[in-house]
Amino acid sequence: MGIYYDIDDILLEEEPISVLFQTGASGVGLLDPGSETNSVERSAKVTLPFWLANELFLRRAVSINVPACFSSETRKEIQADAACVDLKFRSPYFYELGCKILPLVTDKSIGPFLQYAFTSRYTEILSKSHNITGANPKFSSKLTKEESHLFEAARSSMISFKKWRVGGSRLEKASILGRKRKPTTPTESSTL
Amino acid sequence: MYGRRASQLLRELAACEAGQLTAFNSDTFEQVIRECNEHNLQLQSLIRKIEDANLDIQTTRNEDHFGAVIHHLSLLRNKRCLMAYMYNRAELIQSLRWKIGPVLPQEIQEKLNYSEEEYFKNHSAAIESYMSELDLDLTVDMVPPKDPYIRVKVLDDIGELCLGDHAISLTQHSLHFIKRTDAEPFISQGLMEEFLE
Repeated sequence: MGIYYDIDDILLEEEPISVLFQTGASGVGLLDPGSETNSVERSAKVTLPFWLANELFLRRAVSINVPACFSSETRKEIQADAACVDLKFRSPYFYELGCKILPLVTDKSIGPFLQYAFTSRYTEILSKSHNITGANPKFSSKLTKEESHLFEAARSSMISFKKWRVGGSRLEKASILGRKRKPTTPTESSTL
Repeated sequence: MYGRRASQLLRELAACEAGQLTAFNSDTFEQVIRECNEHNLQLQSLIRKIEDANLDIQTTRNEDHFGAVIHHLSLLRNKRCLMAYMYNRAELIQSLRWKIGPVLPQEIQEKLNYSEEEYFKNHSAAIESYMSELDLDLTVDMVPPKDPYIRVKVLDDIGELCLGDHAISLTQHSLHFIKRTDAEPFISQGLMEEFLE
């Protein structure tokens, strides 16, 4: 039930998926801009949002094509240099969509590919998030929703840590002052 | 595309900064409801078409069936989007009671829908009756206090404030050393700030 109200889950299901109708459907001409009648013909190629494509697939009304963001070109780019690929442009919900689409398509290599992409990008995200000061739009604009959540979490925890350390150093300073006073007392006594 | 407009509502929520409230988009909200009614009419007419052809509604898998399924799914989708829109806003509105207090400033009040205003009032009343039952103000000390008294700087003219046996005048830029519990509501409202040397 928790996921029912989840904004990200809803928006992720809005991602367009290209499907092939295995059967006709009448009264829904809006789905197919090329259709002349108010219906979708059998074997029409239509782009549907994921939520509709998924349900129709389960009812064996459509077959699903692998979305363009998991194409072989993207895979080659990820293999070349994962951290530099603009995944947000491919799909802001790259990983979540991949997980949801995996059971619906015959190409099962998406799973390992997603894992490879995530793990190889993760190192870069983590090291950048700890070192970046201020906003870095060039880097963070390439991240998917999931990755930018991670990035933000790591960045804010680093900021809190630094803040805590500064706060802690105030106590340290007091102890240093205490230590400083000790050497001053012998010097004072020596001058006397 | 079906459900596009409803998802726009949520995109609006997602785009705004975390913890911020956007104005209730009643235009889009009502358009989505009209869309739902349209889907319902289409769904009914397709089902009637199947029934008129003397086909079994349970087993028929023809074009009309899939058309009806698509309208049905679109209805559910729109419902989910509208529910999520209201739910996520309601969560935020609840938190306002703890952060700001029982009276909302004008600029926030304007962003609420009528039913949301009612919700806030009722939620606020429920918390208040619970607190009076406990005889404890739950909204203070949200951050564990280190000292019962704090030094505060007044940011805006507040006027006279009665504290126990004496009254102090809270004029702008004045500094006071008062009970933390007295200062906390003013700080959360942005009328005072903690004064740190």
